[in-house]
Amino acid sequence: MSNAQTRHLPDSDTGNKRAWGALLVAGVFEVGYALSVGGSQAFTVLTWSISAIVFFLLTLYFLSVALKTIDVGIGYAVWAGIGSIGAAVFGAILLNQSLTLYQSFWLAVIIAGVICLKLADSAKLTRPDP
Amino acid sequence: MHWLYLIIAVLFEISVAIAAGKSEGFKNVKWTVITLVSGVIATIFLSLALLTFDVGVGYSMWTSLAGVGIVILGAVFLNQRLNFGKVTGIAIVISGVIGLRLSGAA
Repeated sequence: MSNAQTRHLPDSDTGNKRAWGALLVAGVFEVGYALSVGGSQAFTVLTWSISAIVFFLLTLYFLSVALKTIDVGIGYAVWAGIGSIGAAVFGAILLNQSLTLYQSFWLAVIIAGVICLKLADSAKLTRPDP
Repeated sequence: MHWLYLIIAVLFEISVAIAAGKSEGFKNVKWTVITLVSGVIATIFLSLALLTFDVGVGYSMWTSLAGVGIVILGAVFLNQRLNFGKVTGIAIVISGVIGLRLSGAA
């Protein structure tokens, strides 16, 4: 990797792919983090607490790697989107929590809102400098 | 009380999002420390909120409200313009949170 700023150049494809890969990995770890925090009962259950800490460090590390290349607005939207969907689905499966149709609908609304918000935020940030 | 915990967790998550972006893959020590400390505090308050909220519901409200907070802070303190898309996004997120609240999930 050169230390030149390659964000807007066509030859940064490999860097982009690595960054998006890192972002997806961060999203998966974020799901693990959300479920662990939920399962820890306010950090009174040792095993869930330890896994929360491990996932916390992993998700932040991969997110920060991804955000070196990917715009923070888009990166954060994708990361939190994966986390939200994963937490709802796996919370229902693994932690036996409810996921009703109404809840799913409003969760989908929230995720759509975040995507809209972040894309609008990024449009300005990714405009080439004059 | 769980709403108060959630709001405190949201405020520290905003700090995490900003600091993580500036930490450059954890190479910048100052921003890395800010990221980690904010993340720990956010996590503690999230875990308190999740004693009452289900994970899927509490987690979604936490991250989405942090996203809204980042845009609003940017508009207020960094003079970033609130365009149509941002305002629409904020409105959609907040309606989603209210919807969850009214449906009895939150």
